[in-house]
Amino acid sequence: MSETAMKQWICIICGFVYDEAAGLPEHGIAPGTRFETFPDDWTCPECGSPKSSFEEA
Amino acid sequence: MLEYPVAFHRELGMWVVSSHELCLETMKDLRFSPNFRHWEYAPPPKPEAEKDDFDIVTDHSLFAVSPAQHLRLRKLTMPAFARHVMSRIDDRIRDLIVDCFETIGPADEFDAYSAIAANLPARSIARMVGVPPEDEKIFIKFSNSVVKASRINLTERERKQAQHDSLEGFAYLKNAIADRRQRTYPSDDFLAALVTAGEQDDRLDDWDILAVVMALIAAGADTAVDLHTYVLQGLLSHPEQYRMLQAKPALQENAIIEALRRGSPGKLPIFRFATQDIEFGGQQIRKGQAILVNLAAAWRDPQKWNDPDALDITRNLEGHIVFGAGPHFCIGTYLVRTQGGIMLEEFIRRFPQAELARGDGDLEYDYEHHNARRIVRLNVRTNAGASIRNAA
Repeated sequence: MSETAMKQWICIICGFVYDEAAGLPEHGIAPGTRFETFPDDWTCPECGSPKSSFEEA
Repeated sequence: MLEYPVAFHRELGMWVVSSHELCLETMKDLRFSPNFRHWEYAPPPKPEAEKDDFDIVTDHSLFAVSPAQHLRLRKLTMPAFARHVMSRIDDRIRDLIVDCFETIGPADEFDAYSAIAANLPARSIARMVGVPPEDEKIFIKFSNSVVKASRINLTERERKQAQHDSLEGFAYLKNAIADRRQRTYPSDDFLAALVTAGEQDDRLDDWDILAVVMALIAAGADTAVDLHTYVLQGLLSHPEQYRMLQAKPALQENAIIEALRRGSPGKLPIFRFATQDIEFGGQQIRKGQAILVNLAAAWRDPQKWNDPDALDITRNLEGHIVFGAGPHFCIGTYLVRTQGGIMLEEFIRRFPQAELARGDGDLEYDYEHHNARRIVRLNVRTNAGASIRNAA
């Protein structure tokens, strides 16, 4: 999949944005990692809400 | 507390959760509700006919509605609170902050509580909501009365008075919401954002909007007073940390959160109420029982934090719960961080040599405050003259 198809996901509780292109290197998530590949028990690094609280931005 | 992170306190008649790990779990677990109506000893609700605007808005509040409705409200309101929106708030409140420092001027010494902390938060929220300067007084009275009415240490008569004092503000805001609904031109204030939030068939009604404004006041007006004093007190009582922040401004947000973690300005914990029988932390919690979430203990839990009593602005704060966690994560977090950041930036720019006057800044607390270890005097020596002399 091309770089341009990278998405952003936003936590509807706290507004934290996960940018697939940037990843979260400080949390061990490499740039380019798709949100869908996160495990089901992954939680928002800002507020601790579950993965299900994220929506495509 | 370390040995028994979940323990029943006989005198309080409630469970006390004290470890960082389990406080976090309690706040994330939807089976624990913040709505005191789930408490086995909750007083009966007021009859509908006796409810005033304060009561109705309280029924619509983020702590009172069902988890599904709560999620809906957060989803609809989040765009107005997100980090990127808050960065635009910078333009709107910077002049208020600069005004505070202009009033301080070249003083040798000033009280950071009265000159900065007591001055800024409610006015900042008034600006954010879209209240024009000429109506600020109404809003600030509203803000004070709403916060006061939520106090647990009021007599019934005092509570009724505070609730009554809030009604003028509710009427004012209802008119302001009606105004935003009628406007045919775009408006970028918070009320306008709430009026237009959501899809066409899923809008916030007036009560929802008032409940969100009330939450913002509760989360961002009174508590932010403590943010300013505790951040300054923390940094100035650790001059090496203050100098480090000047050398590395990128540490600003970390410094604010660390000062709050270590300073622990909250006097009371938060509460949750079991909506069903729950096995938790090796204990059996019964439906209807209250849980005291001991955040002050969690913020200094040695199992989570190395050297928890130390102020270290370089500390890795990943997983902190300074602004809570889970569905009720502090809604005003980015607002107060933005406000605190601008204050700190301006403070450092003007008073790089500042120190606490006479060692502790003549530190004084208001022991009567309902939920905060409220600092009401923090005298700062600016040493501004020394800076100017050094520069010359």
